[in-house]
Amino acid sequence: MKLYDQAQNLVARVGIIQVFAFVLLAILGARLYYLQIVKGEYYNEKAENQRIRLIPIPAPRGAIFDRNGKILVFSRPTYNVTLSNEPIKKIDVNDRVDDYAQGLQVDRQFVLERINFIKSQPEFETLVIKENATIQDITWVESHELEYPELRIEIQPQRFYPLGKVLAHVLGYVGEIPPKQLEKPEVREKGFRPGDIIGKGGLEQYYDEYLRGKPGYRKVLVDSRGRVQDELEVVEPQAGQDLVTTLDLDLQQTAEKQLASSATKRGTIISMDPNNGEILVMASAPSFDPNAFVTRSSKPEGRKEISVYYTNEERPLLNRAIQGRYHPGSTWKIPESVSALQQGAITVARSSIVCGGGLQVGNRFTRDTSGNHGTPDLPSAITHSCDGYYYRLALKLGLPGLIKMVETFEYDKQTGVDLPNEKISQTPKSFESYIRKRDKGKWNDIETVFASIGQVTVNVTPISMLRAVSSIGVEGRMYVPHLLKEFKPIGAIGEEDDPNYIPARAGFGYNYAEPKIIEMTPAQNKLVMKGLWGVVNAGGTAGRIKNPNFEIAGKTGTAQNSEIGSGGAKDHAWFVSFAPAYKPEIAVIALIENSGFGSSNAAPAVKGVYDTYLSKHHPDLLGGQQVAMK
Amino acid sequence: MVAILEKRSFRDFDWLVAILAVAIVSFGVWQIYNAQPSESYWSKQIIGLAIALVAMLLVSFTDYRRVIDAAPIFYALGLVLLVLVLTPLGVKINGQQAWLKIPLIGQFQPSEFVKIPVALMLAKYFGSRKAGTLKPKEILIGIGILAAPLALIMLEPDAGQSLTYFPILAVILFLSAVKVRYVVLTIVAGLIFMPLVYWVGVETGNIKSYQQERIKVILDPENADPRGFGYHTVQSMITVGKGGLTGIKGDTETSQSVLKFLPEPHTDFIFAVTAENTGFVGCISLLLAYALLLSRLIAGARQAPDRPGMLVIMAIAGELACQIFMNIGMALGFLPVIGVPLPLMSAGLSAVLATFIAIGFVISVKMRRFVN
Repeated sequence: MKLYDQAQNLVARVGIIQVFAFVLLAILGARLYYLQIVKGEYYNEKAENQRIRLIPIPAPRGAIFDRNGKILVFSRPTYNVTLSNEPIKKIDVNDRVDDYAQGLQVDRQFVLERINFIKSQPEFETLVIKENATIQDITWVESHELEYPELRIEIQPQRFYPLGKVLAHVLGYVGEIPPKQLEKPEVREKGFRPGDIIGKGGLEQYYDEYLRGKPGYRKVLVDSRGRVQDELEVVEPQAGQDLVTTLDLDLQQTAEKQLASSATKRGTIISMDPNNGEILVMASAPSFDPNAFVTRSSKPEGRKEISVYYTNEERPLLNRAIQGRYHPGSTWKIPESVSALQQGAITVARSSIVCGGGLQVGNRFTRDTSGNHGTPDLPSAITHSCDGYYYRLALKLGLPGLIKMVETFEYDKQTGVDLPNEKISQTPKSFESYIRKRDKGKWNDIETVFASIGQVTVNVTPISMLRAVSSIGVEGRMYVPHLLKEFKPIGAIGEEDDPNYIPARAGFGYNYAEPKIIEMTPAQNKLVMKGLWGVVNAGGTAGRIKNPNFEIAGKTGTAQNSEIGSGGAKDHAWFVSFAPAYKPEIAVIALIENSGFGSSNAAPAVKGVYDTYLSKHHPDLLGGQQVAMK
Repeated sequence: MVAILEKRSFRDFDWLVAILAVAIVSFGVWQIYNAQPSESYWSKQIIGLAIALVAMLLVSFTDYRRVIDAAPIFYALGLVLLVLVLTPLGVKINGQQAWLKIPLIGQFQPSEFVKIPVALMLAKYFGSRKAGTLKPKEILIGIGILAAPLALIMLEPDAGQSLTYFPILAVILFLSAVKVRYVVLTIVAGLIFMPLVYWVGVETGNIKSYQQERIKVILDPENADPRGFGYHTVQSMITVGKGGLTGIKGDTETSQSVLKFLPEPHTDFIFAVTAENTGFVGCISLLLAYALLLSRLIAGARQAPDRPGMLVIMAIAGELACQIFMNIGMALGFLPVIGVPLPLMSAGLSAVLATFIAIGFVISVKMRRFVN
């Protein structure tokens, strides 16, 4: 063909089109070079990040045992329905809420909260939406796999409290880490993620770091909708360390029974080895079931159960042993006696003070509630709980003397028990500024008189009272009460050169601090001991619990209180003790709220604990009736 | 006589073009398999290739001059098909009524085929005109020939497909002695008006928000919403990039398409699949194959015995080049996402068949280069 004839520069124009086509292809080639060669690594990483997911495998928490190896708490595997955020990032919440709630039989409000929370998480995360999935739940999830790729069934450990309400306050419970807490950078730094289970209250909280294991993970391949296609790698979790407590479950159960059969069913019993501070019993009533928080909190009934715990006027969530503060009544006279001897207000040789059946302070006569005791010496004043004696003794000590006593017996501090949220006792030391403000800068004698018998300005925690009084039996050594006996070691996971290696964790016991020493001469100690011994063994206020084979030293207390409780304004009954009196192995304190006299309400409860202790350790020493029954 | 003719036809048949086309389609079949090994698109494509090959041979042994003579009939037939698409006979897929379902024949996409009658019609008109500078009236007639099918395609609506029609007219006008100053003017006007049209489109709401998103992601892929309308572009770039130098060679464990991150892997984004599986080496080979194919077509145009034949070949070559550029440019993330298949690679009987018919036509022209 003669191209030249037919158009201007046709050959050139064809050539231009050809060059144009080649230029287009060259642009593509250059762009390819940039994407594949220059940025190949970058895109490779991006692709990997979007197809590889690490699904954490929660580690089972360490179990908790009593001192004899009886199990108190453990983790058991359950089927959980989990919810991943990735597939639902772009989806309207309302598309799912009712489907989940109906399909899985869970509370709608709960589902709504969960979805909204997980959707707000920036990274790939999963949350449990239903624990303890039933066969029906599992079938439902599996049959809706295509519609709801965000739901999965996972086997995860669940905390179980086989004893229910027994020891609930001491053990605490577990739950998901609150979203608020997760917002703190230091919490995130420790590796916490949404949905992680942490201890809440009790030993679960205090020793969370050791009880909690290190989670493993499953490395999986996911498709664009987040559906798991393949499992690439599994790194097993390392379980938490097992905790052996100093508790004795048999004694604990006796104590719980004593509280349950008490007049008001409200109070606390604590038992401790005065020689080292090991707590054998810590019971507080009324109690709660930790399982409610763990297994039932996603169901409407469970949520109601929990909300009742919070609103109940009897405050079942309060650990009365370390968080309750009560007027100690006459039990206060024991540390007061020791302090008076230390400060020289009385001496071993001259310890007698007039009782007078009470005391006239200003224009007001304050009665001795148990009559006129003449002019008793210290042991007799303790044994018969003479108020008049202590009114006068306290006036001798004055406010500075009372403050000195508070400091000596550390009523101005926490005892240091290994439980969270321990309260500090309130004393004349802490109340002084308040009273002076109220009374135009003065501390009137009447305040000293009231304080002498553990009223008005004295509000102590039962644990601090047990610790103070039981120290008298061991020459003034005041140990830190504690529940930890030992943590068991746990083995390493994987090989040492493995990138996923988790090193072993060593076992350890309680880290003992030097006991606080209450300075007393042997003669002073003997004098106070004589009074304490007499309370039970020499016709004192708690004579009815006497066991000649196993002598108990102790002190009753009957604390007036104006608090409005459901039992009316009846007195709080106290009994604090240790036994055997002159070589104590065990100390026990009981406080029964609003039940009346300490001698008739608290002392028998303590006796019950001693009897169980004897039947376990010295069955031959069991008291009269039991022997007679054989 | 017949024997001689056949022998001569056999000798003059452009084997290289045919083999290149078949090779690219075969390479495409492998990539369609890589895209979704569990689906049957790749085997359908093999059947499509067989049908297309037969069609190509039939067309190449037909005398192209008679076909060009009959161009108005084909053109009218094409328009009828495009109208039928819009009737209840048409099939709607993904919001586009672009397919026609006819009993016995099956389902096909007329807009793929109508390019050929449009090229023939334009070639017939501009091929028979007298020498000399193109008159405005002639340009308007050319635009008219293009506008009729284009309007019908826009009604489907299929913006991507309609874009591929413009190069046909552009090439034919360029080769029909349109004044260079018009060419320059058009390019300058285009550069000015494109942003203006975009702005007006956005302001008046004619360009929908998802279309805007698709353009924004081109300008700034890192900051576009990777889960929104930028998703296609971002995923395609990841898929291409991760292929690296030599690709993953069909590894399904990490395949972006098997894991469903890459959308439409066997059609619009087949190039991304190719890039992922065969890497830079495979992609450059493919681009070279395209370059070679286009060169052969253009060489054929230079040797064409007459003007209409030359125009048809150049129109087809120009259209192929632009379509390749649009599709791969989209896969490489520098052109907005528009549904244009990659010639000879994307799965789809209509596209392969139409391309093979076009190539058959080119071969037919070349075969008759000595018959004057």
